Amino acid sequence: MGHVKDFREIEQTYLPHQALLEASRCLFCHDAPCSNACPAGIDVAGFIRRLKSGNRAGAAQLIFQANVLGDTCSRVCPVETLCQEACSHTELLEPIQIGRLQRYAWEKGHSHLDVAPALTKTREMKVAAVGAGPAGLAAAAELTRLGYKVEVFEATSRAGGVLATGIPAYRLPRSVVEGEVDLIRRLGVKISYNQGFDGQLNPDALRAKGFRAIFLGTGLGQSVRAQIPGEDLKGVFWAKELLWAIKEDPGSHKDLCAKLGRRVAVIGGGNVAIDTACSLLRLGADRVEMVCLEGPQEMPAFPSEVRFAWDDGVEFHTRSKPLRILGEGGRVVGMEGVGIRWKKPGLFVPDNAVVIEGTEFQLRVDSLVEAIGQRPDETVAKIYGLETSPAGLVIVDSETGQTSNPSVFAGGDVVNGGATVVQAVAEGKRAARGIHRYLQENR
Amino acid sequence: MSQHVDLGTTFCGVSFDSPFVLAASPCTDDADMVTRAFQAGWAGAVLKTTSVEGTAVDLVYPMIVGLDHEGKRVFGLGNIDLISQHHIDEIEGRIRVLKKAFPQKVVIASMMAAIREDWKTVAERLSAAGVDLIECSFSCPQGTLGTRPGFMLGQDPKLVREVTAWVKEGAGETPVVIKITPQVADIVEVAQAVKDGGADGICASNTIPSLMGVDLETFVPYPRVDGKSTYSGLSGPAIKPITLRVIAEIARNVQIPITGTGGAADWQDAVEFMLVGARTVQFCTAPMHYGFRIIEDLTDGLERYLRDKGMRSPKELVGKSLAFITSHEGLSQAKKVVSRIRPELCIKDDLCYLACRDGGHQAIELDENRLPLLDEEKCVGCGLCLTVCPVSDCLYMEEVKPEQREDSQEGERS
Repeated sequence: MGHVKDFREIEQTYLPHQALLEASRCLFCHDAPCSNACPAGIDVAGFIRRLKSGNRAGAAQLIFQANVLGDTCSRVCPVETLCQEACSHTELLEPIQIGRLQRYAWEKGHSHLDVAPALTKTREMKVAAVGAGPAGLAAAAELTRLGYKVEVFEATSRAGGVLATGIPAYRLPRSVVEGEVDLIRRLGVKISYNQGFDGQLNPDALRAKGFRAIFLGTGLGQSVRAQIPGEDLKGVFWAKELLWAIKEDPGSHKDLCAKLGRRVAVIGGGNVAIDTACSLLRLGADRVEMVCLEGPQEMPAFPSEVRFAWDDGVEFHTRSKPLRILGEGGRVVGMEGVGIRWKKPGLFVPDNAVVIEGTEFQLRVDSLVEAIGQRPDETVAKIYGLETSPAGLVIVDSETGQTSNPSVFAGGDVVNGGATVVQAVAEGKRAARGIHRYLQENR
Repeated sequence: MSQHVDLGTTFCGVSFDSPFVLAASPCTDDADMVTRAFQAGWAGAVLKTTSVEGTAVDLVYPMIVGLDHEGKRVFGLGNIDLISQHHIDEIEGRIRVLKKAFPQKVVIASMMAAIREDWKTVAERLSAAGVDLIECSFSCPQGTLGTRPGFMLGQDPKLVREVTAWVKEGAGETPVVIKITPQVADIVEVAQAVKDGGADGICASNTIPSLMGVDLETFVPYPRVDGKSTYSGLSGPAIKPITLRVIAEIARNVQIPITGTGGAADWQDAVEFMLVGARTVQFCTAPMHYGFRIIEDLTDGLERYLRDKGMRSPKELVGKSLAFITSHEGLSQAKKVVSRIRPELCIKDDLCYLACRDGGHQAIELDENRLPLLDEEKCVGCGLCLTVCPVSDCLYMEEVKPEQREDSQEGERS
């Protein structure tokens, strides 16, 4: 099949009769396993019941109450490993399409939301959130609902973090995130943009401004490098920057195409690598080849994403280790890799890979994108004096999200090293409750 | 959109914090269950029907049969349950406990008796216990405490009037509601008898006498009790249209407050009950299927609906649809409607074609792509095609003005 050449959203919202047919399959289980499987704790059976009874606004309200990024999550959640995996209907026939119903409920009901119902209690204390990604937005919304005054400091000119700068538009149109950020703002959250770490955001400056607690949701700022020869050649890119450029400005796609050429290799087997590969095909590349250490069943990308990339036309070189990037006249002309096997079974890390002699191969490509992971910007933990793991991740209390600095809490990718959007939301909410408890105990 | 909605309403002078009430049923045959229902948010509960017969009530099991429809469970629910096995002595205590714990909630007692003396004294005792309303079951179709098998008190207007008056005598200040059966030739006559007997309100209506089905292997109908069966009372979504007619018919003809029951499963059903004249709506099958928690969507859905409609209270809904109900002769023949199709929505199951061909007027043909084409000349506008279409809004009805008819026929085929 021909490659899809545009960034229009791949999945359509249900039509009304489709939504009703699907909602009618829901059993409305007691203590519903789907809700228990949702990190954000959305009352799934509750919103489906409301949908079924024609109470669409009520359905959207339940979603918004538990997850201020419910519209985004309806599109990007790996539902087949969360709510839909838990669905009791699986034992009868097949799981309810919860993600699609959530998206439908939101689309039909969100314009009638009670965005900011009167607070039961307002509190004078101010809380700062650093980073307007999913964790920071969720924490800020939750704290606002608890009555605190919350300001979010965002380094870029856009809120949403990876939603605004990473996940491609065909999976998550920009308008979705913008709509959610607008609601969060209407909820009462203040967002300040272009706030880098230079001076303003250190703990002392924030405290001097009256912020009594700080939430850190700074995500993963730095791309990890494969550290293979040839990375300094022209035509080597890093996924994070590339995806950002693609999402930021659809108008620049032509320039990007010219820089990337017709054949591209993508190094990595995670969701970011998949997003990159599929975006490259949409930009117009003729051939996109993914090279990753893991086998098809071992890749860290969601199985549904791997299938999607396969259907999209991405070529896979699995259980393959990149050795060097080949260049001519300072430009990428190809790459060399080699097949591997695992020393210990079931452990899919570079140290456990053994090269299989004689399986070396070369790919002819015009450019190469590294998508093997990201790590936190180390300056963050340093400025705040936080304990970190060897991987540079901020260590927090598993109940409260509190860091080694008592007034600083953290959540999202900077803590978990890169998980789902809904996990970041859950960690933002967890830290909000932790901050609430901390401030109640330390008035 | 932020205008305040108060879900509170009144029925027979009693205030309810919402129109949603649990019907006399297994849901309400235990003080702890009613306690949980009130905590969940129900405005009131009709305790399961009591009498002086007490444990002499001869229950048999199994007593419940579901009416499934094409894979969906509990489209209707049949039961051969009887009144509560709990004697009035026990019910008096429950009323006191519940009213003490929930002074704002409405506790309604349901009662039944066989002789004048009992109708009167049970009502007296319930009233003295502090119950908010007394509901009298003149209509339980399952079993009977009387002498005529299958006969329901509510089927004899003369007896209805007489017994209502006995209960009123005993009830004193406590309002009395009579629960009637839809299984009568003239519902208005019965409702009038309820009013003439002095009742404060009417409960419309009750389960419908039914035979739930037959086991094709053993030939024994359901429910099978040791090789025999009997008739059940049918409740649930299947009987909603019957209840709606009963409520509407009473509301159009007799000035008496109505509490509606029989087939309401969600807030939209409840709104319909109110639109045709009910002031409160009782639920039984829905909470028996899905639990007391359905109250959350009932109240949330109703509140949002009222807000959308610019209304402040469910009281504004009561009887609003009655003006639109007339006799068949009262309906206009002047306007011609026809079916139209949105071809882009068609999934080509062509059920509309079959239905029109074999159950209508052969007004639908299929083109070479299996797309239905509507012949406006042959279409009488019966509405069967859109009734069977599985896609919402794919087919719709439109009025045709005589001068438009030729143009639009062209448009249909383009």
